[in-house]
Amino acid sequence: MRVEDFLEKNEVREMTIFNRLVLNKGVVPFADLLDDLSISKASLEKDIGSLTDRIRVFNGQVSIQYDGKMIELAMSDELSLQHIQRMYLSQSIKIAIINFLFKYQEFSITQLTQELAISESSLFRKIKELNRHLKPFGIKIRNGQMQGEELQIRYFYFQFYRYIDNQSSLQAENGVSQMIQGMEKFLNRSIPSDNRQRLITWFSISRFRIHVKEKTYNELRSKMKPYMTDPLYRELQVFVLRYFSRYAVEVDEVEAMIHFSFLLSFPIITEEDFHEYKLIRNRHVPIASTDTFIVETIINHFKFRRLPYMLEREIAYHLTHIHTRMYFFQGDIEIYDYDEILSKEKQLIGKDLVSFARRLLDISRNMLETHTKEKGNGHKMEVLKYTSLLILISLKMTSVIHIGIDLKMDSIYKETLSELLMLRIRPINGVLIERYETGKDYDLILTNRSPLEKDYYDGARLYLLSEIMSSFDMENIQNIIQELNH
Amino acid sequence: MKVVIIGASFAGVAAALEVSNRYSDAEVILLEKQVTLGYIPNGLHLYWDKKIEHLNDARFTTREQLEKEGITCCLHAEVQKINIDKKVIAYDYHGKEESIAYDKLIIATGSHQLSDKIIGGSEESVLKYKWYDQAQAALSRVKESQRVAIIGGGQVGVEAADLLIRQGKKVTLIESMDYVLFKYFDKEMIHPITRKMVEAGLDVRLQKTVSSVSMEPDNTTTVVLGNETVAADAVVMSVNVRPDLDFLDNRIELNADSTIAVDCYLRTSAKDVFAVGDCIQLSGPGEDRVYIPVINNAVRTGMVAASNLIEPTTPFKGSLRTIGTKVFDHYIASTGLTEAESAFTGRRVKSHRQEVRLSSYENAETAVLKWVYDAQNHELLGAQITSTADVLEKINTLALAIQTKQTIEALQQKDYFFHPSYVNMVSATNLVPWIGERTDRDES
Repeated sequence: MRVEDFLEKNEVREMTIFNRLVLNKGVVPFADLLDDLSISKASLEKDIGSLTDRIRVFNGQVSIQYDGKMIELAMSDELSLQHIQRMYLSQSIKIAIINFLFKYQEFSITQLTQELAISESSLFRKIKELNRHLKPFGIKIRNGQMQGEELQIRYFYFQFYRYIDNQSSLQAENGVSQMIQGMEKFLNRSIPSDNRQRLITWFSISRFRIHVKEKTYNELRSKMKPYMTDPLYRELQVFVLRYFSRYAVEVDEVEAMIHFSFLLSFPIITEEDFHEYKLIRNRHVPIASTDTFIVETIINHFKFRRLPYMLEREIAYHLTHIHTRMYFFQGDIEIYDYDEILSKEKQLIGKDLVSFARRLLDISRNMLETHTKEKGNGHKMEVLKYTSLLILISLKMTSVIHIGIDLKMDSIYKETLSELLMLRIRPINGVLIERYETGKDYDLILTNRSPLEKDYYDGARLYLLSEIMSSFDMENIQNIIQELNH
Repeated sequence: MKVVIIGASFAGVAAALEVSNRYSDAEVILLEKQVTLGYIPNGLHLYWDKKIEHLNDARFTTREQLEKEGITCCLHAEVQKINIDKKVIAYDYHGKEESIAYDKLIIATGSHQLSDKIIGGSEESVLKYKWYDQAQAALSRVKESQRVAIIGGGQVGVEAADLLIRQGKKVTLIESMDYVLFKYFDKEMIHPITRKMVEAGLDVRLQKTVSSVSMEPDNTTTVVLGNETVAADAVVMSVNVRPDLDFLDNRIELNADSTIAVDCYLRTSAKDVFAVGDCIQLSGPGEDRVYIPVINNAVRTGMVAASNLIEPTTPFKGSLRTIGTKVFDHYIASTGLTEAESAFTGRRVKSHRQEVRLSSYENAETAVLKWVYDAQNHELLGAQITSTADVLEKINTLALAIQTKQTIEALQQKDYFFHPSYVNMVSATNLVPWIGERTDRDES
């Protein structure tokens, strides 16, 4: 599911026009846009007209000029594309439907058509469209209710209120901070403020959903079977039951299961607290064993003997989020443009890591037995997550290679060429390059003349430049750097 | 002034008595769903404990007593709807539709043991006996039963377990938390009593949630808890109670947990409508709003609502959730905040636990007291007592100390009588660390 799925087709086009304008420094030829959007001249003109109407709410802080040839955007420094997107989302009927459903849990068609001032047929159409996007989450709107596994419903609302309607009426009440405070004390772990925001959203949704009478937990119950004696789950169970015992609501252990799956799927507890938990958790349950297997596969792939202790801890923390989420949850709201990020990352790191990330995904899907659940583009975001993690590892595992440039030539050339060489080599990851200074230790020396004495550079590896700045030399240097890195 | 009160249990009766006593012009009408009134909730325990000869003796008041006070009692009157605009109540009276207008309305409909989660929980075979007619049914069923499963280890559940074990029954007590009576006691205080329970032959299943109860063809029941099952001849439901408010005008504001929202004068969002007892949330030991369905709150809120009928003059002071009972040969009592529950308050607390002798004699019985107090200003916030001697009344002293915001230092100087038969140097409720045996260090 994507943010655009909450908008109408023409609204998405209008947003695209805005995007193009911003990316092109505020000016785009009309003809280019026609090509880009592959629509008729009349439609584009209509879109521009609608756009101009809509931005009136910004009271002149943003304006669009169209002279028949060029479209020009002027925007105040205090506004960003995000404000425009938010404006579109705030008018979305589909978002209003989700909000209404969340707040009242149930609706009748008459009630909702009146509330949203739309016709029955367009309400049905919007619900149908929404249901198409809700399908990957395993939930649907039916008979005026959100139907499906309770965990999935809360997870969808969580994604929705974090990424789609984050300005909404979902205000944290007092009770939520009390709940977080209670949880921190019961688990004896403190939640950092960034993570707390996630938890506030989650708990706010959960407190609302507690009162829904008919809920389904079959899948969660079955997935939780290996975790019934998990130490964190046991602690959460005590906390959840005690917290809700203070109110006139009936809550059982499933509520604790819901929070357990959330707590380990997102960065909530700190890496340090997770590490402590990792030491006492059962290593043979699905998530823990997948974590271990994936770490080992990564270590083997990079031919590391082992990872530094702190890096391994960090990776385990991220991996557990990926795997817990895959194990318990399905569906995602794509907040980043998957293809764009992946192509950027590919440019940076080459195709190898991405295909390795895909291999990791296959392994974890098999181990977690989630392969049947998500089809097609399922777990797209997980590829990104694995790739990011692999980049992180390769960056952190790259040791710094000290390179000294020692050119033997007239000083005027020497200065310039040394600087140029440094400029070329500096962007290579994990190198420190400078002009050679006697007495300093180097891993690699670049020079244009063989030294007279054999051990002149104190055992540093030597590369003799054939022709300074040539692509031949540059490639050889890169190879040596890679060799030194392993 | 016509005052209609819905519900004639403790809250409703207390409100009715206060209204008729306070306002000479008031016409007080009590509408009660049950056929009788004044039954003491869980009066069956008194019968099992042989404190009363007949179940029907478990009454705190009678229709005659109330009518003597000028209160009209309509029994078997089930309220169907309230209209807050017209100030009219529609009710079903002996099967006929009736209506009554009010000037002031007090909702005191109490609570029920309800479970939507336990499959089969609402079946008749699952015994609930808060009310008289339920108790009658439960009485005969339990009498015939040898194996009894009790769902819920709160006060009612633990008392029932004790009484049934004493009758020689084979009893299983199922609690979803990691110890029983967790709302009132910290774990270490209740641990010795749990040991006694097990020694007495009670099968205690902790951290187990019942998912279903089903009736077998041979008239026995199977209770399913996770992967385990318990076979029983009778099942007693003693889970948390909840109000049942289907009849409410939906313009009356509710709290998130579906209790009626009231202000400190117990006024609801509707003009001239008050709510009391188990229908509301009130300010609890941690000073936030919580649900504490205990009888003393019912009585006190009933009286406070009555006194605020015309003018809001008396705010409700809140509840410390004070309880006291005897189970498995131990008198246990608690008031105010437990250390575990303090996690939900912004306060940092410290605690002190000590065993004190209850007289100056060498073989004196002892009591274990736990004090929970504010780490900063030393204000007493909670207290728990367990003993084999009857020390229950002492909890009221401590409740008053909490209500009047006494510090533990002030409690050291609390005046008391000395008599060697009842006191060992210093009164048990004067916190003097060197008296008696300190069972732990300050915990923070």
